[in-house]
Amino acid sequence: MADLQSGEPAHAERAHVELCGVSKRFGSTQAVDRADIVIRRGCIHGLVGENGAGKSTVGKVIAGVHTVDSGTVVVDGRECRFRSPRQAFSAGITTIAQELALVPDRSVVDNVFLGVESTRWGFVNRGDTRRRFEALIERSGISIDGDASVGHLSVAEQQRVEILRATARRSELIIMDEPSARLSAEERDQLHRLVRSLRYQNITILFISHFLDEVLDLADDITVMRDGRVVKNTEPSSETAGSLVEAMIGRKLEGNFPPKPPAPDPDQRTALSVRGLKPAGLTGPRPVGRTGSPAEALSPEGLDLAVLPGEIVGIAGLVGSGRTEFVRSVYGADRAVAGEVRVLGGDLGRLHPRRAIRSGMGLIPESRKEQGLMMDRSLRENVSLPHLRGVTRAGLVMRRAESDLVVETTASAQVRGGGLDTSVRLLSGGNQQKCLFARWMSPGLRVLIADEPTRGVDIGSKRSIYDLISAAARDGLAVLIVSSELEELVGLCHRVIVMREGRFAAEFSHPHLDEAQILRHAFGEEAATRRTS
Amino acid sequence: MTDPATLLQPSGPSRYLGVLARYGIVWVTLALFVLLAATTDGFLTGPNLRNVLDQQATLLIAASVATLTMIAGGFDVSISAVAVAAPLVALRVENATGSVALALIAGCAFGLIVGMANGSIVAFARINSFITTLATSFIVFGIGYVVSERSIMRPSSDSFRSIARTRIAELTTATWISLAVVVVAWITLAGTRFGRHVYATGGNAEAARLAGVRTRLVVVVVFALSGLAAGLAGVVAASRTISATPSDDFSFVFGVIAAIVVGGTSIAGGTGAVWRTLLGAFFIAFMVNGFNLHAIDPIWQRIIQGLVILVAVSTDAWSRARRA
Ligand SMILES: Nc1ncnc2c1ncn2[C@@H]1O[C@H](COP(=O)(O)OP(=O)(O)OP(=O)(O)O)[C@@H](O)[C@H]1O
Ligand SMILES: [Mg+2]
Repeated sequence: MADLQSGEPAHAERAHVELCGVSKRFGSTQAVDRADIVIRRGCIHGLVGENGAGKSTVGKVIAGVHTVDSGTVVVDGRECRFRSPRQAFSAGITTIAQELALVPDRSVVDNVFLGVESTRWGFVNRGDTRRRFEALIERSGISIDGDASVGHLSVAEQQRVEILRATARRSELIIMDEPSARLSAEERDQLHRLVRSLRYQNITILFISHFLDEVLDLADDITVMRDGRVVKNTEPSSETAGSLVEAMIGRKLEGNFPPKPPAPDPDQRTALSVRGLKPAGLTGPRPVGRTGSPAEALSPEGLDLAVLPGEIVGIAGLVGSGRTEFVRSVYGADRAVAGEVRVLGGDLGRLHPRRAIRSGMGLIPESRKEQGLMMDRSLRENVSLPHLRGVTRAGLVMRRAESDLVVETTASAQVRGGGLDTSVRLLSGGNQQKCLFARWMSPGLRVLIADEPTRGVDIGSKRSIYDLISAAARDGLAVLIVSSELEELVGLCHRVIVMREGRFAAEFSHPHLDEAQILRHAFGEEAATRRTS
Repeated sequence: MTDPATLLQPSGPSRYLGVLARYGIVWVTLALFVLLAATTDGFLTGPNLRNVLDQQATLLIAASVATLTMIAGGFDVSISAVAVAAPLVALRVENATGSVALALIAGCAFGLIVGMANGSIVAFARINSFITTLATSFIVFGIGYVVSERSIMRPSSDSFRSIARTRIAELTTATWISLAVVVVAWITLAGTRFGRHVYATGGNAEAARLAGVRTRLVVVVVFALSGLAAGLAGVVAASRTISATPSDDFSFVFGVIAAIVVGGTSIAGGTGAVWRTLLGAFFIAFMVNGFNLHAIDPIWQRIIQGLVILVAVSTDAWSRARRA
């Protein structure tokens, strides 16, 4: 069933992969429903849709992770039924999933050629492997140190290793599932260049993303999914971000951001006050696994910050500027060498997550999988964990009361895709993120700290998360947001602090929030002038 | 229906396989019970079943509590050593004071202290729990030799045997004690806030910590409880045999772990249940009982037991991989 809508001119290349009426069901969820998609060879094919629309599932069906319930997958004109990722792999299909799959303790070269090393008499031939690596680097234009140990690379660099690995195996189709979600703006640009260069090498790319501008900019074809169905096969020239959103969510979205809550009254008692905080991660030697070390630039007085009830404060900065270290040590997740944190005037004393929670703080950490969720436990358990005290009587957890709590908070955070007892692993990425919001949507919360709150969240849900945040601020919650998306900070915050090398480099208040200014301070003046000249 | 596409519906069969794997232990234990009841004379009789219950008592006491340790992500091999040394300590106290109650308390307290030490080392020195408890096992075995002066110990009065061998409603007190421990462990894990913290710690310790769980305290407590239960199990065993012998025999903990993993609790932590351990223990017990009633060579019994454990663990690994 070739797609007629796209109406390509005669010069269009052959279809590389065709999905004809593909359906896939998990329990009661129809993840993909009779989808028809044609992915042309050598093209960048964008795939967009809300959280849980079935994008990742489509990718996994093509990559052999899931087998279809009905319908066919045609690769190069031949019907294929991959039973395992390995089979798809030998047919030239590789996936770069959101959670990268590398061996952290081995070098870049080792990882790139893992399993396909040059051998002589059964021994790895280092010299030849090395030469192949150089050739690969040359061909792809990726710059990376072959001897670096992968565990010490940034996410963006690790992603490049995965791409190199795919090209080393002569993959013809690379499925990228939200590759840009964890990258900074700068790194995102590099990724785009890389993706384009792959296309020049006639490699087909299935590009799943929530960033519509990026998809419009990169893709040759775009497929929009909603509730498991393909609602539109189209091309960028006939679409705008607005029209894609409308197709994705089935209605128009008025503006990306809710109106800002009124400026907080400066005479109130501060909700969160931080004085002289020196996060251990910013004072000691360079933390392992992070690049762009904040060095020992921390000012001797430490970091000061005050957030009023009802105020939304953003922290901008490059990856490695110390944003995450700062908010984590405010919450007590990481040690602080010195400093004092108060919530509504009460001193927390020695900082510890438990104490932070008692005093009314909540943290949504940077990585939901490693630091946020217990993936194999249920939605219920994940959401209610910090609030069990309130639903316990005589030591026993009252399931009814707990259910009420979880139903209410998950509804207000709009978590979809499963009942209370589904394990969160089975939720789509965006819904997992919303779980973390649901966890803190309780009346006792005074200060919400969110590190990259909308990572991997679709545009409609992004808006609903922004609505949540701004509604919470209206109710008097103090919010501290770390984000790599400047647009988000500018659109949402009353005040944005720019961090650079472990210090607060600048501060801007509404209505003087300006992306270019923020960026300039994030990079540092000299770097900024160098870049513009 | 002959369309090849329909033959290849993975979610169909694999869904059933998923349910089968998840509740597998229930079906196989039931099936084994029915099979033995139908084919084996002397299996489905009151005395035989009561005997099985009585024999499983010590293992159930230790295993139901060790399930919590396993779910919290820990691995306690010191159960054997505690079960060997605790009754020696108990009998030393009994010989000195003549009090059965004090003996029981001493045995349990000994287990508790060893468990707390294990838990503290694991939680604060961050040493792998298998290695920690292996090391403390040797120490505790050694303590056993010291306390007993390297010889078999017997109670001074006959009342020591009453701990395990009093009959109430046709069942021995050993059986009653084990049932009580199972119920308490079950409720603790499935119903209490502490139980939730155990699951959370094993499921993702960092996430649990950030959600306000005192994960290190959880670790200390589960090891302490596991030591306490092992001490109690040792005293009950000594009361059944009216003696205790120093040794460095690790076999008890193997039975305990076998019951836990055959039940379907994951050695990776985060998932499992006490009812699973209960079924796992009875599955193995029925199997052994059936072998004995059929007079099967004990050598073969071992081999078959080993295979059963392998099947159980690989089902776990398999269903885990499918979920990824
Ligand atoms: N292995 C699974 N078992 C059960 N349900 C699943 C499984 N994988 C996906 N689902 C469900 O199928 C639906 C589609 O999920 P999918 O991951 O494809 O969404 P997505 O479009 O990638 O969303 P996101 O943007 O949030 O990543 C969701 O409701 C999800 O909960
Ligand atoms: Mg997805």
